[in-house]
Amino acid sequence: FLGAGGGNDIQWCFSQVKGAVDDDVAEADIISTVEFNHSGELLATGDKGGRVVIFQQEQENKTQSHSRGEYNVYSTFQSHEPEFDYLKSLEIEEKINKIRWLPQKNAAQFLLSTNDKTIKLWKISERDKRPEGYNLKEEDGRYRDPTTVTTLRVPVFRPMDLMVEASPRRIFANAHTYHINSISINSDYETYLSADDLRINLWHLEITDRSFNIVDIKPANMEELTEVITAAEFHPNSCNTFVYSSSKGTIRLCDMRASALCDRHSKLFEEPEDPSNRSFFSEIISSISDVKFSHSGRYMMTRDYLSVKIWDLNMENRPVETYQVHEYLRSKLCSLYENDCIFDKFECCWNGSDRQERLFSTEPFLSSFPPLCSIVMTGSYNNFFRMFDRNTKRDITLEASRENNKPRTVLKPRKVCASGKRKKDEISVDSLDFNKKILHTAWHPKENIIAVATTNNLYIFQDKMN
Amino acid sequence: MLGKGGKRKFDEHEDGLEGKVVSPTDGPSKVSYTLQRQTIFNISLMKLYNHRPLTEPSLQKTVLINNMLRRIQEELKQEGSLRPVFVTASQPADPLSDNFREAQPAFSHLASQPLLPTDFVSTTPLESCLTPASLLEDDTFCTSPTVQHDGPTKPPPPALQPVKDSFSSALDEIEELCPAPTSAEAVAAETAADDSKDHPSESNVQKPEGLPESRTAESKLMESLPGNFEITTSTGFLTDLTLDDILFADIDTSMYDFDPCTSATGAASKMAPVSADELLKTLAPYSSQPVTPNQPFKMDLTELDHIMEVLVGS
Repeated sequence: FLGAGGGNDIQWCFSQVKGAVDDDVAEADIISTVEFNHSGELLATGDKGGRVVIFQQEQENKTQSHSRGEYNVYSTFQSHEPEFDYLKSLEIEEKINKIRWLPQKNAAQFLLSTNDKTIKLWKISERDKRPEGYNLKEEDGRYRDPTTVTTLRVPVFRPMDLMVEASPRRIFANAHTYHINSISINSDYETYLSADDLRINLWHLEITDRSFNIVDIKPANMEELTEVITAAEFHPNSCNTFVYSSSKGTIRLCDMRASALCDRHSKLFEEPEDPSNRSFFSEIISSISDVKFSHSGRYMMTRDYLSVKIWDLNMENRPVETYQVHEYLRSKLCSLYENDCIFDKFECCWNGSDRQERLFSTEPFLSSFPPLCSIVMTGSYNNFFRMFDRNTKRDITLEASRENNKPRTVLKPRKVCASGKRKKDEISVDSLDFNKKILHTAWHPKENIIAVATTNNLYIFQDKMN
Repeated sequence: MLGKGGKRKFDEHEDGLEGKVVSPTDGPSKVSYTLQRQTIFNISLMKLYNHRPLTEPSLQKTVLINNMLRRIQEELKQEGSLRPVFVTASQPADPLSDNFREAQPAFSHLASQPLLPTDFVSTTPLESCLTPASLLEDDTFCTSPTVQHDGPTKPPPPALQPVKDSFSSALDEIEELCPAPTSAEAVAAETAADDSKDHPSESNVQKPEGLPESRTAESKLMESLPGNFEITTSTGFLTDLTLDDILFADIDTSMYDFDPCTSATGAASKMAPVSADELLKTLAPYSSQPVTPNQPFKMDLTELDHIMEVLVGS
């Protein structure tokens, strides 16, 4: 790992944990998405109850240089409500599947949040002043008796306690028959895509009554359906390019300039199956649960059930790197199929990218200039999460648990014992708790701060600062 | 401090049920492979049929489970006989819209659908026979987890062979009775011929020596049963998957409860000649018209019901 002091490993320390302490998890509190905004100052989470909670980082206190600012609750609002589809007699879940921030253009912050069917654009704005001195109203809002008004005055703004308001500015509805799994904002910051199991639609952020279908893989005869779309993302720099992944382990790169309906891919990324690993579950474990471009756009990362793969956009026939997340599960696939864990959708993320700034800052952070996007992170079971360093090829397993919650104590690496004699401090595969899964993780865009979501808690870890 | 992620090696002690395909070079491995496949098949069906959420099921999950079932079915077909698969009834255009309401009543729904048998004279018979077998489903799903964990120590499938073969051969006879008269010898010859045809080229299943009879029986059951019902599964994807597959998949494990009629080897040949005569004698009391071995006859609901009872419920 690269980090402070040049060449030393990043030492992750517990910083904070948010959420209820009980073991009894309320279903609505299950965290379903985590996302930093572009500056890293704000951290948003969505949950199964349709709520969005935004945390804000405290401004760094320069005298207390041993820790970065803490994240505290900034705003909480109900983004989506449960709905009922009368035609199918089915509920539409309010669970927030994805949140994506827009880059900040003015004082307010904007984010897109989506459930299975509807995407909403929320404006989060601060109010720290309010008008006082109305002529016709008392301060508490009651109307004054007009006969008592003898003079006129101009209301003035006076400071008030900070209030953060979230208001829905756009609602993008009725464009998806199937369940939305991804949203991605284009680099033009004017359009975005939303992907469901069979279709991808393109929207303009200002226009809610119209969206354009750019990918449609629904077969004429639904009985012939064997593959669905699992994730989609716009290229970070090229506003006409996007990728989408499938349940068969393929990624297709499409160019919107080629045609209106991008059913024909420009590139198809697929790794041939390893015959020695073939099993009944080969297809299921090859299903891609997440796809993320690197910051430069040169690479993309995919997550399937057992591994993380890094692809070079210039090479379609195989990934350039493959990292095994929990290979010890390969012999347990039948059980994991039976208990549905094999369908868990793990996400993955790159480390932050703006390290160039630090070369010119006064803080002695880095003596060397590291390559961008050198570390990838993803979750596993038993509240473990994993990081892989692409340069050193080393990896680490850490645990998100309240037992390690002393700030500035470096997290102890964990190890799973696959077979044979279990060493001290190792955990055997059979002791893993498959109900404790880390599906969502996020990395601060600029600093070594990570947010890791367990079932209903959000952990924040920081690099130990010297 | 940092560990190098080690690739997990294949552990000989691992149960053949999990993970990698067991490449069956000998009898027991083949048994476990077939067992594994059967278990996965049952689990997959259970996932599709027993799932009753308030919200729409995940399309991705449904598609993956369907693909699994299709693959297993393909494998069974390839391993099995060369009989032609019956023409299936066409599905409604967008079964997704029928999702839930039809998922659970799949069986009863099908009960009202007419069969499209090619060799079978009557059109309705087997639905009612299906009902008893579907009741067995509950037993099956209780046993399948234990099957999974016990692995190849479960009672061996060869116990199933005699019953399956007798049933399938009985059906063969029934089929043959309809278009043309047949004799016990023809039936026996056919059964023997099927056994000898059993050399699958499927790469996962290498040698037939473990369970040739059961494979034959499985495939025979799949294809010789009249009609391939369209199952309106929760997605309606399974055009080729027949109710027969489910039922006889169920019967496979439920048969563990029955005493094996004969030993593993030579069972098929011994049991094969359930002659048409004997069968008809069984049926005669329930049939309103006199039946002779050489006469094509129509089976109605009750007669086939009784065949099922004879073979399964006795």
